[in-house]
Amino acid sequence: MSEARLKIFTAKKIITMNPALPFATAVAVQGERIVGVGTTEDLAQWGDHDVDDQFKDHILLPGFVEAHTHVMAGGVWEFPYVGFYDRVDPSGQTWSGCRDIDSVVERLVECEGSLEDPEQPLNAWGLDPIFLQGERLVAKHLDRVSQTRPIFVYHASGHLATVNSEMMRRSGIDRHTPTPGVAKDAEGEPNGELQEPPAMLLAQDGFLSIGAAIMSSNAKWNYAREARNCGVTTVTDLGTTRLAMEGQLEAWRDATDDPSYPARVVVAVGHFDFGGKPKESNEMALLAVRLRDEEETAKLRFGIVKLVLDGSIQGFTARVSWPHYVDPPAGHPGNGLWLIPPEQMADIVSSYHDAGLTVHCHCNGDEAAQVFIDAVETALEKHPRWDHRHTVQHCQLTTAAQYKKMAALGMNANIFSNHIFHWGDQHASVTVGEERAARMDACATAEREGVRFSVHSDAPITPMGHLHTAWCAVNRLTASGRVLGPEERISVSKALEACTIDAAHQLKLDHDIGSLESGKLADFAVLESDPYEVSREELKDIAVWGTVLGGVPHPADSE
Amino acid sequence: MFPTEAAMEVSVIGGYLGVGKTTLVNHILRNASERIAVLVNDFGDINIDKELIDASDDSTISLTNGCICCSLVDGFATALETVASFRPPPSRLVIEASGVADPGAVAAYGHAPGLALDAVIVVADAARLREQVADPLVGQTVVSQLTAADVIVLNKVDLVDDLATSHQQISELNPDALLIQASHSEVSLDLLFGREVRKAQLSNSHIGEFESRTHESDQPLSRKALETLINELPKNIQRVKGIVRLTESPQVPMVFQLVGRKWELRALADRSNSPEGNQLVAIGPKGSVPTDWDRTLRSKN
Repeated sequence: MSEARLKIFTAKKIITMNPALPFATAVAVQGERIVGVGTTEDLAQWGDHDVDDQFKDHILLPGFVEAHTHVMAGGVWEFPYVGFYDRVDPSGQTWSGCRDIDSVVERLVECEGSLEDPEQPLNAWGLDPIFLQGERLVAKHLDRVSQTRPIFVYHASGHLATVNSEMMRRSGIDRHTPTPGVAKDAEGEPNGELQEPPAMLLAQDGFLSIGAAIMSSNAKWNYAREARNCGVTTVTDLGTTRLAMEGQLEAWRDATDDPSYPARVVVAVGHFDFGGKPKESNEMALLAVRLRDEEETAKLRFGIVKLVLDGSIQGFTARVSWPHYVDPPAGHPGNGLWLIPPEQMADIVSSYHDAGLTVHCHCNGDEAAQVFIDAVETALEKHPRWDHRHTVQHCQLTTAAQYKKMAALGMNANIFSNHIFHWGDQHASVTVGEERAARMDACATAEREGVRFSVHSDAPITPMGHLHTAWCAVNRLTASGRVLGPEERISVSKALEACTIDAAHQLKLDHDIGSLESGKLADFAVLESDPYEVSREELKDIAVWGTVLGGVPHPADSE
Repeated sequence: MFPTEAAMEVSVIGGYLGVGKTTLVNHILRNASERIAVLVNDFGDINIDKELIDASDDSTISLTNGCICCSLVDGFATALETVASFRPPPSRLVIEASGVADPGAVAAYGHAPGLALDAVIVVADAARLREQVADPLVGQTVVSQLTAADVIVLNKVDLVDDLATSHQQISELNPDALLIQASHSEVSLDLLFGREVRKAQLSNSHIGEFESRTHESDQPLSRKALETLINELPKNIQRVKGIVRLTESPQVPMVFQLVGRKWELRALADRSNSPEGNQLVAIGPKGSVPTDWDRTLRSKN
């Protein structure tokens, strides 16, 4: 059997993220792995080779590693987009933002015209009414699109949907419907807005098809295409109980085993409430261990369990310490919600920790982070284990004291820096107030206190794109253009570490990916400009050519 | 069986960790006299007697008494679909909310097509209530749960000498809920579910004995007559429920529910099987429901 022929990629510049050899101009690849990094002359020592100079004007980095997104980011593209901001779909087509109700209606009319089956519901996603001036979009506007076809428009928040009159008729939603969340007008008639899942579930044809979309093969492919388009070579579906469902592991395998599937995927098992039982009876722990030990392939990885402890800051459901929220909505109980009883956390974390798994826990608020950190400490006291890499996910309000403790316990952070841009203005004015907003998503504090961290988009919550996410951490500019918390800005090189080697470390894959050096997988992000040459403010605007995954080029916007 | 408004009535059971929710679910399953479907987070905890289990798989347990137990692992939509597929259909759906869930929010699912919310039942631990309400981390969660209740089962009263503190705490948080005291989560299912008390049911000294009386009439009722009924109701009557028609819109059957001091009147969602006229049942401890409890409804309007 002959070995694959050696190929040397040359580039304008290679940023390796390997401190022992930070920059280079050539990388030699055999099969899916890197033989060496350096100059073409250095690499000639490895013998006969072909030179591939297609990237001679490009900058190569280790492929970006996104440690917190969801396959839903691919699933949403089953449906037309009607959000406020421009958004690029996995095929590279830009969907212009719908800036008012008329453009939403216009977009839907266009899509409606392309549906052949008159019975097929029209579903759309991404609506964000807080950005639309004037009256709220309701059923009567959607009735202009169709009075015979049911229409379901899913909002960007994921908490609401707006439907047309035909959908209400078919779903039996009328003035007598008692379900809370069915919004009604002054005359008591439902106006088409359905708030929260119990109300959305009434419009089954729409709501269930949105949920089902993430199960499809197409969603998995679009997810990887979206990653590729922004230079991400390893993406993380952070937390799903669906792996336990029949056929879902096989569906992931079918997609990722295809040589043209353009990303590696880490799928984390979602914790489900089993009441903090020991690992012998924790089905999710058993599943996660089995997947890690028996089912891993080159492009499908496991070993992580995801817990969700609190809600969101902008939804006022995160557990935030006193003095809690500045200006919560009327009727708000004062603090957010627990999704797992705090006193069960130590048992739950222990059950996964003892099984040798890495626990990633969603903690937006600092009170939630504290409960998780304490639970990790308890688990470690009972069962010392080195290099567990348990990670606080989102980690938005984590304090300096908490970062110190995390460092002492060997924990990691994955910081939701995109929040600074998307909701930073609201955090300063209505959620946590100026002082805490200025130190939220505290990358500089994490760096100072010695906690290894990555940054993330939580796509589809915010669009995937590590150059944008790094830009947020480096500049901390909000949507209104102010710098929120200049002291928490980090350097470009630190941000690039967070997007590559430190994200890989968090996923326990840094032996294989995250930097370009001999022996590692040949996963590159291929950029049109050098992140160290452009101004800090331009970081997000660097064009992405695509990726190289295991030595194979995958240009952006291709099939 | 007293007529109900839909194929399935829904009871939501909430309450913080360790208060006895699962014990209550077990009590319900063991003593069920109707076909009940129970949705739980984990049926590893549901300690069903082996001889009661007919069949089980990953997400469903069928019991020999006709009840079924479904896991919520794949979400509400899936669990509701599973329940809807059972034949004959269950007459009641009991949803056990998680220890930190807001049972009021879970109750919103109780209005899905074919379902009708009966009551939100919240179990409280008489021995630990005070401590839980004062807890800096979970106090607000416990308060929200109790506030959302139509029925509060004050459980584990056998462990406490002085119940006055718990009573005071509950009356401050939710004075209108129906308060039932219990040990080991043993409560009258007739009272809990608001249904006619059948004589066949054996009395249980822990639970106490209950009785019910019905009201049936043909002519639409005035809203005023109903309000008078509520205002003058003997205070031992703990639940009244049924379907009535009002003079202002006799063609619309209305659901009437009174639990403790909370009451509601709303249009019936599913009108396919609604009875003509008015049918109400009143429930209270044995010997406490006067034969003329409905006199204000019988008097000329």
